[in-house]
Amino acid sequence: MLTPKSYNSDITELSVSAWFYRNRTIAGFDNPARSLYVSIRELVENSLDACEDERTLPEVSVFLTSEDNETTDAFSTGPQIFGLVVKDNGKGMRKEDIPVLIGKMLTGTKFMLKQNRGTFGLGGSLALLYGQVTTQEPIEVVTGKQGEAFGHRIVMRLDIEANQPIILQEEMIRKAPHESGTMVSYKLQGDWIRSKKRIVDYFTQTAIIVPYATLIFETPDGNVLKYDRVIDSLPVSPKAMKPHPRGIDVELLKKMVSKTRTKNMKSFMNNSFQRIGKSIAQDFLAYSDIDPDRDPQTLSQNELVELMNAFESYSRFLPPSPKSLSPAGTEVLLAGVKRLSPEIVVFKQRSPNVYEGHPFIIETGIGYGGGLESGINIYRFANRIPLLYDEKSDVTYRVVRDLNLRNYGLRQEDPLAFVMHICSTKIPYKTVGKEYIGDVDIVRREIELGFKDCLREVGNNVRKRNRVHRQKKRESKLAEYYNFVAATLSSALKRSVTDSKLFGFDGGVSD
Amino acid sequence: MKEVSRGSTNAEVLELIDGALGAIADTIEDGVFPEIGYYGSSKRNVNYKENQGYISVDECASFIDGRKVESAKTIAGLVYGLTQFKEHLEQGLSMSLRDFYYLHKVKHVQEVMKISDQSETNRMINLCERVIRQRGASIPREEFGVVSSPKGTFYGDLILSDMSGKRLNCNSAGEYGWFISSRPFDVDIHDINIDAAIFVEKEAMARNLIELGLPDTLRIGVGSLFGQPGRNMRAWIRRLADHEVPILVLVDMSPWSLRIFSTIKSNSIELANIQGLATPQARLIGLTTDDFWGRKGLLVDIEHSLEAMSTSDMKCAQQNRKIPSINQNPVLNRQNEAMLKKRRKGELEAFKSFGYPLSELKQLYIKYLKVKSNEHDVKLI
Repeated sequence: MLTPKSYNSDITELSVSAWFYRNRTIAGFDNPARSLYVSIRELVENSLDACEDERTLPEVSVFLTSEDNETTDAFSTGPQIFGLVVKDNGKGMRKEDIPVLIGKMLTGTKFMLKQNRGTFGLGGSLALLYGQVTTQEPIEVVTGKQGEAFGHRIVMRLDIEANQPIILQEEMIRKAPHESGTMVSYKLQGDWIRSKKRIVDYFTQTAIIVPYATLIFETPDGNVLKYDRVIDSLPVSPKAMKPHPRGIDVELLKKMVSKTRTKNMKSFMNNSFQRIGKSIAQDFLAYSDIDPDRDPQTLSQNELVELMNAFESYSRFLPPSPKSLSPAGTEVLLAGVKRLSPEIVVFKQRSPNVYEGHPFIIETGIGYGGGLESGINIYRFANRIPLLYDEKSDVTYRVVRDLNLRNYGLRQEDPLAFVMHICSTKIPYKTVGKEYIGDVDIVRREIELGFKDCLREVGNNVRKRNRVHRQKKRESKLAEYYNFVAATLSSALKRSVTDSKLFGFDGGVSD
Repeated sequence: MKEVSRGSTNAEVLELIDGALGAIADTIEDGVFPEIGYYGSSKRNVNYKENQGYISVDECASFIDGRKVESAKTIAGLVYGLTQFKEHLEQGLSMSLRDFYYLHKVKHVQEVMKISDQSETNRMINLCERVIRQRGASIPREEFGVVSSPKGTFYGDLILSDMSGKRLNCNSAGEYGWFISSRPFDVDIHDINIDAAIFVEKEAMARNLIELGLPDTLRIGVGSLFGQPGRNMRAWIRRLADHEVPILVLVDMSPWSLRIFSTIKSNSIELANIQGLATPQARLIGLTTDDFWGRKGLLVDIEHSLEAMSTSDMKCAQQNRKIPSINQNPVLNRQNEAMLKKRRKGELEAFKSFGYPLSELKQLYIKYLKVKSNEHDVKLI
């Protein structure tokens, strides 16, 4: 199936999907346990995106069922076959788009300069491809758009060689006009025992960062994990933006030049990049010694490289616009963290900042006490997806480790939850695993300042709370002593002595 | 005959306790947190006078502010302590310091007070002494019925009745004589047939004096201090002095013994608030540095028996320089300096190192006591 097309005996050419299948470990499909987790995660994130694009409050249901019924001893078995159904209430797809959006790699809605969840933009398709390869079963998609009386049901296979779907079956199904959404169901190989914790963690933490969604997950063990929506407002959706001159490379510049319809450099600068007005365009072209009236198409390779260098050194570009970002917002985060039921929560959003030509916004939060476990717990999110692993390598961990909690009247063993959300058009992931964020100075600084800001407020609240607590303790201690004194005096003096006037109540020990 | 402090009667003490408890009760009932003032044992509250010893001067008052948690605990302890004294006095029972500690182990008391160490309850008694005052002076704990284990004996021709109510002569009350009462203030002295009383630091020496018949020969009383004298012994010495019995003290020649003598003579800073414990008339007859090192010293021949002073002895002598009752007394101060210089000390047992036939020991003691008491204008027959 995966045989490459032969040119001659030595040279072969892989199709895009064949290449990705061979290198599927990059996207996380390396063993059955991790593949199951990554598959669920990719499809859930596609569903959340589909809903948010439509400004619909998401309702995502995931059903994972074991297809091997005969196994009894779960620990002795290796990978099993599972049926996976992911259902959302998103915008649905047009019938003709289904094969392209789902069945073909490197196509989709995510190749624009705006914040989005996906990591490579091919996860969903690769998840389906993985399922097909491991089980040889077809994929079923049911989808419907709002306002239409019919939805569509399609059964298909993916042709890896051709990077094309093969439709096996298709039919119209009746639905109510207001209903919309997509349901994908297929079979895949996985290892539930070894991925259970990851998957459950994923749902728990997703529920924190997406508190406006209702998430349902039915496990193969028959348990149902249900997170009801706790807030009814969606974060502001990001806008697709033109690139910023600091955030591109020569290849992208070449592509932009070849596609532009502008006839001179001045209007090319003005129209192709974000935050470059007429005067900055003029100033920049003078700075880089390029004739404003020159046709961009005539720039040579060397001149393009020089232009790139000029982009780097020119200092008057405005920072990239944060409009392409969609921070969760403190309100949403506050609602999300309520799921951990802390006693005190503080969230702060930092002002937008820039990292390698890409804007980013850091949101930090700290929860204290209540239902939190004692000790420091760190929750990391990037573009509204939870980062679950490699915590100790993450810049957030390092920042938290270096904080001096005592300065804020807190202790290491206090029940504390540190929440960090970074949103950016380019998250500074450190490795291809994309599970942790690298130690970039500017990002580190923003996280640090954010946490410190939160700590100050949490520290004050805790101090205030402790003061009230101490005061209460003092009063109850005083009452205890005076109750004892009054009782002792009563029996010694043989007359009734009460301390009720001292405390303004009838002598009982307050708790 | 003048009797200075015959103490207060039980009824008076009970009245004082009831007064204090009633005042606290009324304050609390009025909805006011009680505040209790007293004079602590800080140096500002104590003066030293050569002819009186340490006396309290009520200079700087301390206050227990009942609004504070710790102070409320102190007040609770004070109230509980006073009610226990009251009950014991009413029942005619005495208690020891340890007894008082165990009274705080009563379950409902323990739950509130959470006392874990006897030093806490001892401090409470000390506070009671300072809080309950009569005619400007503290009531000693003995009057509350709290007595420490009595220490010290007295032998001699002296007739008294102690708390037992029996009349007895101290020369026929056993081989050591009379065991000093824990409440010497309340002892009645009927007849005194002695010309002086000698108080000896060490029990062995005192016994020797009694065995050799010196009390009869010299018409003296012999008391045994058993080391540092207890409150009862000091009060007893004061009682005798008040009856114009000359008081002679015979101790080791060491920095520690200077302290023993100075507490008999001047009382101590900690107990300055308790009257009747100092005997300014007391005389130190020996062993003195002059006995060993003076030109006409009686003990010059046994100078070789002196022992080297240990580090702690030296430290004690250094500290003596800062104690008012020692550094302001020329005699004591001179002895202390002499010991610091020579770094040697002598003990009462030194008499045995003369090596006389034992039959001559009695004469030696008689000679020593006569000569030394003469120096202090006390003539023994």
